Amino acid sequence: MRRQLAALLFAAALLTPAACGTTNQPSAPPPAGQPDKVNVGVIAILDVAPIYLGKQKGFFASRNIDLTLTTAQGGAVIVPGVQGGQFQFGFSNVISLLLAQSQNLPLKIVCNGNNSTGVDGQDFGSLMVKGDSPITSAKELEGKKVAINTLRNIAETVVRASVKKAGGDASKVQFVEMPFPNMAAALQSGQVDAAFPVEPFQTAIRDAGGKSIASSWVDAAPNLTVAAYFTSTQTMETRKDLVDRFTAAMKESLAYADSHPDEARQIITTYTQITAAQVAKLTLPKWPAEINRDSLQKLAELAMADGLLKAQPDLNALLPSA
Amino acid sequence: MSGAFRRAGLVLGLPVVLFVVWWFASYDSKDFYRPPLHKILEAFRDTWFGERMVQDVLPSLIRLGIGYAAALAVGVTLGVAIGSARWLRALLEPVLEFLRAIPPPVLVPIVILLAGIEDRMKVIVIVSGAVWPVLLNTVEGVRAVDEVLADTCRSYRIRGLARLRHLVLRSASPQIMTGARQALAIAIILMVISEMFAANNGLGFLVVQFQRSFQVTEMWSGVLLLGLIGVALSLAFRFVDRRVLRWYYGLRAVERQPK
Amino acid sequence: MSQPVRAGRVGQVPALLGAAGLVAVAVALELAPRLGLVPAEFMPPTSTILAELARQLQRPEFWVALRDTLVTWGIGLGIAVAAGTVAGVVIGTVPGLRAATSSTIEFLRPIPSVALIPLAVLLYGARIQSTLMLVIYASFWQMLVQVLHGVVDVDPVARDTARSYRLGLFARIRYLVWPTALPYVVTGVRLAATVALILTITGELIIGTPGLGKEIAVASESNAVPPMYALVLVTGLLGVGANLAFRAAERRVLAWHPAIRVEAAAAL
Repeated sequence: MRRQLAALLFAAALLTPAACGTTNQPSAPPPAGQPDKVNVGVIAILDVAPIYLGKQKGFFASRNIDLTLTTAQGGAVIVPGVQGGQFQFGFSNVISLLLAQSQNLPLKIVCNGNNSTGVDGQDFGSLMVKGDSPITSAKELEGKKVAINTLRNIAETVVRASVKKAGGDASKVQFVEMPFPNMAAALQSGQVDAAFPVEPFQTAIRDAGGKSIASSWVDAAPNLTVAAYFTSTQTMETRKDLVDRFTAAMKESLAYADSHPDEARQIITTYTQITAAQVAKLTLPKWPAEINRDSLQKLAELAMADGLLKAQPDLNALLPSA
Repeated sequence: MSGAFRRAGLVLGLPVVLFVVWWFASYDSKDFYRPPLHKILEAFRDTWFGERMVQDVLPSLIRLGIGYAAALAVGVTLGVAIGSARWLRALLEPVLEFLRAIPPPVLVPIVILLAGIEDRMKVIVIVSGAVWPVLLNTVEGVRAVDEVLADTCRSYRIRGLARLRHLVLRSASPQIMTGARQALAIAIILMVISEMFAANNGLGFLVVQFQRSFQVTEMWSGVLLLGLIGVALSLAFRFVDRRVLRWYYGLRAVERQPK
Repeated sequence: MSQPVRAGRVGQVPALLGAAGLVAVAVALELAPRLGLVPAEFMPPTSTILAELARQLQRPEFWVALRDTLVTWGIGLGIAVAAGTVAGVVIGTVPGLRAATSSTIEFLRPIPSVALIPLAVLLYGARIQSTLMLVIYASFWQMLVQVLHGVVDVDPVARDTARSYRLGLFARIRYLVWPTALPYVVTGVRLAATVALILTITGELIIGTPGLGKEIAVASESNAVPPMYALVLVTGLLGVGANLAFRAAERRVLAWHPAIRVEAAAAL
């Protein structure tokens, strides 16, 4: 009888789902003299050239940070990665961060990621149509299909802003989710009427005859901060010194990349599949060292008007203290 | 009477216990990713009943239905053809084994390339994965038709459609049903996966959207709904299976009786 | 119908035909894009795919990804097999447990593993644990069902004999249940291995855990079509290879076992 009971308990223990808890372990300080091991979750796109450049130039090593860059599919994976302790810092677009903040996820932006160039017609992403399309303004997209890479996120917010700015009704636009590489073929075949690609796909579509009808990053807000680097509030509280050093290294990297575009182009060829010949033609984003808070406020208002954000986000809680 | 109670107790006992344990263990949970069960159930009620049911759940289930039916049709037709001709089977077996071994989700990027992103793509994805168990099991079933029965048919000059219906399909039907059941599980999985790429409506799409915007309670409610759909379809299948294969189960029960 | 079997030749003909079939398909897929029947940028000819495969085999990243896939697969399968076997033996042997857990098992089993993907991503990000969650969940049920069938299949006479000799629970498991269940366990491992591989690649593809599936996703997103096809080819070959290996192992292990090797009809 006792043996059977023991077996029963054993079985019960096995049947209990083994969903181990995620212990959010803050990175412990390294032994004296050793640099901090820091893992940053990034996406293999143009926008993160500064951190790669900064690593190459030793801006992080000089501040005692042993930097590892891990590429991931997107913010949806990087945010849990930062929360769960896989990454100490992460890179994500600001709408994803606002969404996370509105759900009370304990995150904190530490420094800027990349901005729009602020120049209409010469940005690193634009609303495009195929060469012989009759559409000339975003207003005409009412009732049409627009391809964006992620629904209910930043691309949708800024394209809606373009439509509104041109005098159209954004709610009448039909958005279709599609990976960037598929956009060129979809435009050509008429599967979609417009698309919002970013570099290098913007140049690729332009080379294939496509034309831009609006610069949505510019239409959303002047000098829009598109993405930022962030960490968990726990890391912020327990490893403030590390966060400060990382931020300082990042600011130096951003300023360097902004003022040395050729080196930025060169480093892009090392962590993406883009070739040197291709990267020379691309429009780079701007990399100011400081976050444009006003643009974030504007973006949040746009997102709320679109119904993407349900409540006013607490920007002060999210942004670093000025 | 007590027999029925006992049976009900056994069927409901453990599930109810687990449910209650989950309810109370998570009641005060502050864990962002593991919300309390009662909140999940609230989200379940608020999220899914209403226009979401028609806008998202229904299209998903319709695509599932069409894809599954197509997989059955294609699988059985090709399976009968291939299974009946020994040379054809030998010719195609390695190719089919290879195609079957490719994990179905891996075909999604390829299907997107070839078939675009509309409903058509999603149905093709479902068919491309669900057809294999049906096809291969049909081939097996047709191959294993009892020789004596086949000879009897020939003696009575039963050929063509009648032979197909009464001999081939009927004796292969237990095997075909096995394949159909595996195909159902695969079809459900592919229905969800096809909606995680480049979609704009559907159950899988919504669950992924909730995940991306960190709406964790709604996401859990979606996971729950997916589970319930899986269970409901499985029960429905079992019901159909018992009716269609009544003769087979009866035969086996008789064989199992001690002599 | 009763023709004498031509000794020696019979085995070769199907094998030759099978090889011919493979060649025919390869040739068809070579010609179709070249003749314009399918757009070549979406389905490259066989020769291009094979050339790309040769190139991939020279990339160290490919071997790293392959190793990652095999490691995830191995760990997931191992845990699922161990848990499934123990659970199956315990549930099948302890009286009353089977009836009590039957409804729960039948309820949890059909839950599609992909429903867990968003949950796994939120809990573990893109780390190996996310994919392991999927793999273990799906493979565990495969294993459990097979083992349960094996345990239940014990010969009633032998069971009564064991009871007459008052064999305790563990002795019964060792001398009675385990030998009967062994063929089912072995079949269960083979089935679980297939499911585990599929879910491993699926997890890598969708969640982004390092491995072949992630390589396929990266290729697809950078519109590198030939590498995508080459990698898909590799996953197919892995699946076929695994299936053959496990079937061979099954035959070896069960060569001595009396022919009760019935793949349970409810192994679904």
